[in-house]
Amino acid sequence: MYIIIVGGGAVGHGLALELQQMPDHEVAIVELSGSRAGQLRSELGEMVVHGDGSEIAFLERVGAGRADLLLAVTADDGANLVTCQVAKHWFNIKRTIARVNDSRNEALFLRLGVDSIVSAAGAVMAQIEASLPEHTIIPLMALEGSRLHVVDIRVQAGSPAVGRPLREMQFPPEVLISVVIGKQGAVVPAGDTVLQVGDEVIAVIPRESDAIVREMIAGPTEVK
Amino acid sequence: MAGEVPGMRILIMGCGRVGAGLATQLANEGHDVTVLDTDAFAFRRLLPTFAGHRLVGSGTDDRSLVEARIAETDCFIALASGDNRNILASQKAKEIYGVKTVVTRVRDPLRSEMFGRLGLRTFSPTKVGVTLAHDAIFQGA
Repeated sequence: MYIIIVGGGAVGHGLALELQQMPDHEVAIVELSGSRAGQLRSELGEMVVHGDGSEIAFLERVGAGRADLLLAVTADDGANLVTCQVAKHWFNIKRTIARVNDSRNEALFLRLGVDSIVSAAGAVMAQIEASLPEHTIIPLMALEGSRLHVVDIRVQAGSPAVGRPLREMQFPPEVLISVVIGKQGAVVPAGDTVLQVGDEVIAVIPRESDAIVREMIAGPTEVK
Repeated sequence: MAGEVPGMRILIMGCGRVGAGLATQLANEGHDVTVLDTDAFAFRRLLPTFAGHRLVGSGTDDRSLVEARIAETDCFIALASGDNRNILASQKAKEIYGVKTVVTRVRDPLRSEMFGRLGLRTFSPTKVGVTLAHDAIFQGA
């Protein structure tokens, strides 16, 4: 696959490092700032290209016409949206993924044909959550075309789930507990998995079940 | 299009030379004009007698758009400095808030053409500028 990453900040840099490890992929990373591009180039080499990834003429030069996947991960939502739309409508790139910095833009991005979105707010919220224990359900990712989203829930003292096997929990329909991150690391849970205080749960749930799932896993919300 | 309808509610994003000039003209024609700019200093380009509203905020930010009463707006014109910001704000005005007439300045002629095809009313000052400069060279030749 030929993959183009637009945006060489922390997210783009991290992606480039990951993708570099995977064989059979050609990766180009596009960075607007000359100094940042130079810095990246000294680490990542030839794959770094200095230019404006939302500009059609420039994308043409990096061979966007033969790209299979484009990821727009700059800190600028306008650039990310326009880049994905250009990728789709001008270059017919099959799959586009955009980072959404302002979570209120999520619906617009999906409506305008971006295939997947990654919300930076969700990731940052996960960091903030460590210092704000009352925030116990963190949306990590919206799943396009559905009411489902991926959330991160921290199990707290007083949670009805503590000490009980998951199979005994009467979750609402369409709730999937995908991963439990505890002292022993991340595990895919089974029916007999028992949650402990401090565990983090990654789950796929319908949005309308947020409140009830939070109550069942994190415990009752504190009234302040 | 028919001639202008007096009393339209118009929201202009960006109070640069073009934004301020257009706002002044539309207000003089009797329209209800609001100008949005992220920098209050940009409003110096409007005369003190300007009859419209000045609002500090970003045209890509939902909070500012709601404050500018975007849902009751007949016409949204994106004249900020960045093409991508103009395109984002315009698509938001059109798709999310249902604004009927959306006009977008896109400096890059190719992006202007592409988003024109996708349904925005775009114009490229770059393209117009090239034509004007070219014609001026051969004027009276």
